[in-house]
Amino acid sequence: RGRRPSPFVLRARRSMDKSGMPWHLRYLGQPEIGDKNRHALVRNCVDIATSDNLTDFLVEMGFRMDHEFVAKGHVFRKGIMKIVVYKIFRILMPGNTESIEPLSLSYLVELNVVAPAGQDVVSDDMRNFAEQLKPLVHLEKIDPKRLM
Amino acid sequence: GQTGKLMYVMHNSEYPLSCFALFENGPCLIADANFDILMVKLKGFFQNAKANKIESRGTRYQYCDFLVKVGTVTMGPSARGISVEVEYCPCVIANDCWNLLMEFMQSFMGNHAPGIPSVFGTKHDSIYSPADTMVQYMELFNKIRKQQQVPVAGIR
Repeated sequence: RGRRPSPFVLRARRSMDKSGMPWHLRYLGQPEIGDKNRHALVRNCVDIATSDNLTDFLVEMGFRMDHEFVAKGHVFRKGIMKIVVYKIFRILMPGNTESIEPLSLSYLVELNVVAPAGQDVVSDDMRNFAEQLKPLVHLEKIDPKRLM
Repeated sequence: GQTGKLMYVMHNSEYPLSCFALFENGPCLIADANFDILMVKLKGFFQNAKANKIESRGTRYQYCDFLVKVGTVTMGPSARGISVEVEYCPCVIANDCWNLLMEFMQSFMGNHAPGIPSVFGTKHDSIYSPADTMVQYMELFNKIRKQQQVPVAGIR
Protein backbone atom coordinates (compact mmCIF):
# COMPACT_ATOMS: atom_id res chain seq x y z
CA ARG A 1 0.00 0.00 0.00
CA GLY A 2 1.82 3.08 -1.21
CA ARG A 3 5.53 3.37 -1.93
CA ARG A 4 7.98 4.21 0.79
CA PRO A 5 11.28 6.07 0.27
CA SER A 6 13.30 3.51 2.21
CA PRO A 7 12.33 -0.13 2.55
CA PHE A 8 11.22 -1.55 5.85
CA VAL A 9 13.98 -3.88 7.01
CA LEU A 10 13.53 -6.87 9.30
CA ARG A 11 16.24 -9.25 10.40
CA ALA A 12 15.52 -12.96 10.85
CA ARG A 13 18.04 -15.11 12.63
CA ARG A 14 18.28 -18.72 13.77
CA SER A 15 20.74 -20.84 15.66
CA MET A 16 22.67 -23.33 13.56
CA ASP A 17 24.12 -25.32 16.38
CA LYS A 18 21.06 -25.66 18.62
CA SER A 19 18.06 -27.32 17.03
CA GLY A 20 14.51 -26.57 18.14
CA MET A 21 15.25 -23.05 19.35
CA PRO A 22 12.87 -20.27 18.30
CA TRP A 23 13.84 -18.03 15.42
CA HIS A 24 14.65 -14.44 16.26
CA LEU A 25 13.05 -11.53 14.46
CA ARG A 26 14.41 -8.04 14.97
CA TYR A 27 13.32 -4.60 13.87
CA LEU A 28 15.93 -1.83 14.12
CA GLY A 29 14.77 1.74 13.69
CA GLN A 30 16.61 4.74 12.34
CA PRO A 31 19.44 6.16 14.48
CA GLU A 32 18.03 8.47 17.10
CA ILE A 33 18.30 12.26 16.90
CA GLY A 34 21.15 13.66 19.00
CA ASP A 35 23.08 10.59 18.06
CA LYS A 36 26.12 12.53 16.84
CA ASN A 37 27.14 13.33 20.41
CA ARG A 38 26.87 9.80 21.68
CA HIS A 39 29.73 7.35 21.63
CA ALA A 40 27.56 4.48 20.42
CA LEU A 41 24.91 4.11 17.76
CA VAL A 42 21.47 4.14 19.34
CA ARG A 43 18.45 2.70 17.61
CA ASN A 44 14.96 1.65 18.58
CA CYS A 45 14.80 -2.14 18.73
CA VAL A 46 11.99 -4.68 18.81
CA ASP A 47 12.97 -8.31 19.39
CA ILE A 48 10.50 -11.11 18.75
CA ALA A 49 10.92 -14.85 19.21
CA THR A 50 9.01 -16.84 16.61
CA SER A 51 8.21 -20.32 15.33
CA ASP A 52 10.44 -21.79 12.64
CA ASN A 53 8.19 -20.86 9.69
CA LEU A 54 9.32 -17.23 9.97
CA THR A 55 10.81 -16.89 6.48
CA ASP A 56 7.71 -18.38 4.78
CA PHE A 57 5.58 -16.03 6.81
CA LEU A 58 7.62 -12.93 5.94
CA VAL A 59 7.36 -13.77 2.24
CA GLU A 60 3.58 -14.16 2.64
CA MET A 61 3.52 -10.71 4.29
CA GLY A 62 5.16 -9.25 1.20
CA PHE A 63 8.79 -9.12 2.28
CA ARG A 64 11.55 -10.42 0.04
CA MET A 65 14.95 -11.64 1.09
CA ASP A 66 17.69 -9.09 0.62
CA HIS A 67 20.66 -11.16 1.74
CA GLU A 68 21.60 -14.04 3.99
CA PHE A 69 24.81 -15.11 5.67
CA VAL A 70 26.22 -17.43 8.29
CA ALA A 71 28.05 -16.10 11.34
CA LYS A 72 30.33 -18.35 13.34
CA GLY A 73 32.17 -17.23 16.42
CA HIS A 74 31.87 -16.50 20.11
CA VAL A 75 29.64 -14.46 22.34
CA PHE A 76 31.01 -12.76 25.46
CA ARG A 77 29.07 -10.91 28.12
CA LYS A 78 30.02 -8.19 30.57
CA GLY A 79 26.96 -7.12 32.53
CA ILE A 80 24.41 -6.08 29.95
CA MET A 81 27.08 -5.62 27.27
CA LYS A 82 27.37 -8.29 24.65
CA ILE A 83 30.55 -8.69 22.63
CA VAL A 84 30.38 -10.93 19.58
CA VAL A 85 33.54 -12.02 17.76
CA TYR A 86 32.60 -13.73 14.54
CA LYS A 87 33.47 -14.53 10.99
CA ILE A 88 30.95 -13.91 8.24
CA PHE A 89 30.41 -16.63 5.64
CA ARG A 90 28.85 -16.14 2.26
CA ILE A 91 26.18 -18.73 1.34
CA LEU A 92 26.97 -20.10 -2.11
CA MET A 93 23.56 -21.57 -2.87
CA PRO A 94 20.48 -19.78 -1.47
CA GLY A 95 19.10 -21.55 1.57
CA ASN A 96 21.93 -24.08 1.71
CA THR A 97 24.00 -23.49 4.84
CA GLU A 98 26.27 -26.48 4.18
CA SER A 99 28.01 -24.80 1.31
CA ILE A 100 29.62 -21.61 2.60
CA GLU A 101 32.84 -19.67 2.22
CA PRO A 102 34.36 -17.01 4.48
CA LEU A 103 33.79 -13.46 3.33
CA SER A 104 37.18 -12.49 4.74
CA LEU A 105 39.91 -14.00 6.87
CA SER A 106 39.23 -11.45 9.61
CA TYR A 107 36.85 -11.63 12.51
CA LEU A 108 34.30 -8.90 13.10
CA VAL A 109 34.04 -7.60 16.66
CA GLU A 110 30.72 -6.14 17.63
CA LEU A 111 29.78 -4.58 20.95
CA ASN A 112 26.11 -4.07 21.61
CA VAL A 113 23.65 -3.54 24.42
CA VAL A 114 19.90 -3.85 24.53
CA ALA A 115 18.62 -1.47 27.18
CA PRO A 116 15.34 0.27 28.07
CA ALA A 117 14.67 3.51 26.22
CA GLY A 118 16.39 6.62 27.55
CA GLN A 119 19.34 4.95 29.24
CA ASP A 120 21.90 6.94 27.31
CA VAL A 121 24.59 6.50 29.97
CA VAL A 122 25.02 2.98 28.61
CA SER A 123 26.92 4.40 25.65
CA ASP A 124 29.52 5.80 28.05
CA ASP A 125 30.03 2.34 29.57
CA MET A 126 30.44 0.98 26.07
CA ARG A 127 33.06 3.60 25.22
CA ASN A 128 34.98 2.81 28.41
CA PHE A 129 34.97 -0.88 27.56
CA ALA A 130 36.01 -0.19 23.98
CA GLU A 131 39.01 1.76 25.28
CA GLN A 132 40.18 -1.37 27.12
CA LEU A 133 40.27 -3.35 23.90
CA LYS A 134 42.77 -0.96 22.28
CA PRO A 135 45.18 -1.46 20.54
CA LEU A 136 44.07 -5.06 19.90
CA VAL A 137 40.71 -3.96 18.54
CA HIS A 138 39.71 -0.48 17.50
CA LEU A 139 35.91 -0.22 17.90
CA GLU A 140 34.21 2.63 16.17
CA LYS A 141 30.67 3.83 15.91
CA ILE A 142 29.23 3.05 12.51
CA ASP A 143 26.93 5.22 10.43
CA PRO A 144 24.29 2.89 8.94
CA LYS A 145 23.35 5.42 6.28
CA ARG A 146 26.81 5.18 4.75
CA LEU A 147 26.37 1.44 4.38
CA MET A 148 22.93 1.39 2.76
CA GLY B 1 1.71 -3.69 -4.30
CA GLN B 2 -0.10 -6.99 -3.81
CA THR B 3 -3.83 -7.54 -4.18
CA GLY B 4 -5.64 -7.54 -0.85
CA LYS B 5 -4.60 -10.42 1.33
CA LEU B 6 -5.89 -10.77 4.85
CA MET B 7 -3.59 -11.35 7.77
CA TYR B 8 -5.16 -12.22 11.07
CA VAL B 9 -3.46 -11.41 14.35
CA MET B 10 -4.95 -13.44 17.16
CA HIS B 11 -4.46 -13.97 20.84
CA ASN B 12 -5.50 -16.90 23.01
CA SER B 13 -5.76 -16.68 26.80
CA GLU B 14 -4.58 -20.30 26.94
CA TYR B 15 -1.21 -19.06 25.65
CA PRO B 16 -0.95 -15.64 27.31
CA LEU B 17 2.63 -14.90 26.24
CA SER B 18 2.07 -15.66 22.58
CA CYS B 19 0.69 -13.95 19.55
CA PHE B 20 -0.56 -15.80 16.46
CA ALA B 21 -0.40 -14.29 12.99
CA LEU B 22 -1.95 -16.15 10.11
CA PHE B 23 -2.99 -15.99 6.51
CA GLU B 24 -5.95 -17.92 5.14
CA ASN B 25 -4.52 -21.08 3.51
CA GLY B 26 -1.12 -19.78 4.49
CA PRO B 27 1.39 -20.15 7.29
CA CYS B 28 0.54 -19.45 10.92
CA LEU B 29 3.34 -17.75 12.80
CA ILE B 30 3.60 -18.20 16.56
CA ALA B 31 5.47 -15.29 18.12
CA ASP B 32 5.92 -13.66 21.49
CA ALA B 33 3.92 -10.63 22.60
CA ASN B 34 6.38 -8.16 21.00
CA PHE B 35 4.84 -9.05 17.65
CA ASP B 36 2.00 -6.64 18.48
CA ILE B 37 4.57 -3.86 18.86
CA LEU B 38 6.04 -4.75 15.47
CA MET B 39 2.59 -4.54 13.91
CA VAL B 40 2.28 -0.98 15.21
CA LYS B 41 5.56 -0.12 13.41
CA LEU B 42 4.24 -1.75 10.26
CA LYS B 43 0.85 -0.08 10.27
CA GLY B 44 1.71 2.25 7.40
CA PHE B 45 2.05 -0.77 5.13
CA PHE B 46 -1.25 -2.39 5.96
CA GLN B 47 -4.86 -1.35 6.08
CA ASN B 48 -6.09 -2.09 9.54
CA ALA B 49 -9.44 -3.83 9.56
CA LYS B 50 -9.82 -3.24 13.27
CA ALA B 51 -13.53 -2.66 12.86
CA ASN B 52 -13.82 -6.36 12.22
CA LYS B 53 -12.35 -7.38 15.55
CA ILE B 54 -14.07 -10.48 16.83
CA GLU B 55 -13.72 -12.23 20.15
CA SER B 56 -14.96 -15.24 22.05
CA ARG B 57 -15.12 -14.99 25.78
CA GLY B 58 -16.43 -17.51 28.26
CA THR B 59 -15.69 -20.30 30.67
CA ARG B 60 -13.04 -22.94 30.66
CA TYR B 61 -14.02 -26.35 31.98
CA GLN B 62 -11.75 -29.25 32.81
CA TYR B 63 -13.44 -32.65 32.76
CA CYS B 64 -10.94 -35.47 33.42
CA ASP B 65 -8.65 -35.40 30.36
CA PHE B 66 -10.88 -33.07 28.42
CA LEU B 67 -10.84 -29.31 28.22
CA VAL B 68 -14.08 -27.63 27.16
CA LYS B 69 -14.28 -23.91 26.50
CA VAL B 70 -17.68 -22.37 25.88
CA GLY B 71 -17.71 -18.74 24.80
CA THR B 72 -19.96 -16.04 23.49
CA VAL B 73 -18.69 -14.70 20.20
CA THR B 74 -18.96 -10.93 20.00
CA MET B 75 -18.19 -8.45 17.28
CA GLY B 76 -18.03 -5.03 18.88
CA PRO B 77 -21.08 -4.65 21.08
CA SER B 78 -23.17 -7.36 19.47
CA ALA B 79 -23.24 -11.06 20.29
CA ARG B 80 -23.08 -13.18 17.17
CA GLY B 81 -22.97 -16.76 18.34
CA ILE B 82 -21.52 -19.35 20.65
CA SER B 83 -18.23 -21.18 20.29
CA VAL B 84 -17.39 -24.53 21.82
CA GLU B 85 -13.80 -25.71 21.89
CA VAL B 86 -13.04 -29.27 22.95
CA GLU B 87 -9.56 -30.60 23.55
CA TYR B 88 -8.41 -34.07 24.56
CA CYS B 89 -5.22 -33.24 26.42
CA PRO B 90 -3.19 -36.48 26.61
CA CYS B 91 -3.07 -36.96 22.84
CA VAL B 92 -0.98 -34.91 20.41
CA ILE B 93 -1.80 -36.78 17.19
CA ALA B 94 -5.24 -35.58 16.16
CA ASN B 95 -6.23 -38.58 14.12
CA ASP B 96 -5.53 -40.94 17.00
CA CYS B 97 -8.24 -39.45 19.20
CA TRP B 98 -10.78 -38.01 16.77
CA ASN B 99 -13.28 -40.84 17.39
CA LEU B 100 -12.99 -40.37 21.14
CA LEU B 101 -13.48 -36.61 20.76
CA MET B 102 -16.56 -37.19 18.61
CA GLU B 103 -18.08 -39.55 21.16
CA PHE B 104 -17.43 -37.07 23.96
CA MET B 105 -18.86 -34.13 22.00
CA GLN B 106 -21.96 -36.05 20.97
CA SER B 107 -22.63 -36.82 24.64
CA PHE B 108 -23.43 -33.14 25.27
CA MET B 109 -23.81 -31.60 21.81
CA GLY B 110 -25.79 -34.31 20.06
CA ASN B 111 -26.31 -33.38 16.41
CA HIS B 112 -24.34 -30.15 16.79
CA ALA B 113 -21.08 -32.08 17.05
CA PRO B 114 -18.90 -31.00 14.12
CA GLY B 115 -17.27 -32.98 11.35
CA ILE B 116 -13.52 -33.51 11.28
CA PRO B 117 -11.76 -30.11 11.12
CA SER B 118 -10.07 -29.25 7.84
CA VAL B 119 -6.73 -28.60 9.59
CA PHE B 120 -6.36 -32.36 9.87
CA GLY B 121 -7.02 -32.79 6.17
CA THR B 122 -3.66 -33.79 4.79
CA LYS B 123 -1.49 -33.99 7.89
CA HIS B 124 -2.82 -37.25 9.31
CA ASP B 125 -0.10 -38.09 11.75
CA SER B 126 1.55 -34.79 12.46
CA ILE B 127 1.71 -33.40 15.96
CA TYR B 128 -1.09 -31.03 16.90
CA SER B 129 -0.01 -27.50 17.63
CA PRO B 130 -1.69 -24.39 19.07
CA ALA B 131 -1.50 -22.94 15.55
CA ASP B 132 -4.05 -25.60 14.49
CA THR B 133 -6.44 -24.29 17.16
CA MET B 134 -6.05 -20.72 15.92
CA VAL B 135 -6.74 -21.71 12.31
CA GLN B 136 -10.00 -23.28 13.45
CA TYR B 137 -10.98 -20.15 15.36
CA MET B 138 -10.16 -18.04 12.32
CA GLU B 139 -12.42 -20.22 10.16
CA LEU B 140 -15.20 -20.09 12.76
CA PHE B 141 -14.93 -16.33 13.14
CA ASN B 142 -14.97 -15.84 9.38
CA LYS B 143 -18.09 -17.99 9.13
CA ILE B 144 -19.75 -15.87 11.82
CA ARG B 145 -18.67 -12.63 10.13
CA LYS B 146 -20.30 -13.73 6.90
CA GLN B 147 -23.59 -14.61 8.60
CA GLN B 148 -26.38 -12.14 8.27
CA GLN B 149 -27.19 -10.44 11.51
CA VAL B 150 -30.72 -11.49 12.43
CA PRO B 151 -32.69 -8.66 14.05
CA VAL B 152 -34.01 -9.86 17.38
CA ALA B 153 -37.26 -8.57 18.74
CA GLY B 154 -37.17 -7.30 22.32
CA ILE B 155 -37.97 -10.03 24.83
CA ARG B 156 -39.57 -9.27 28.14
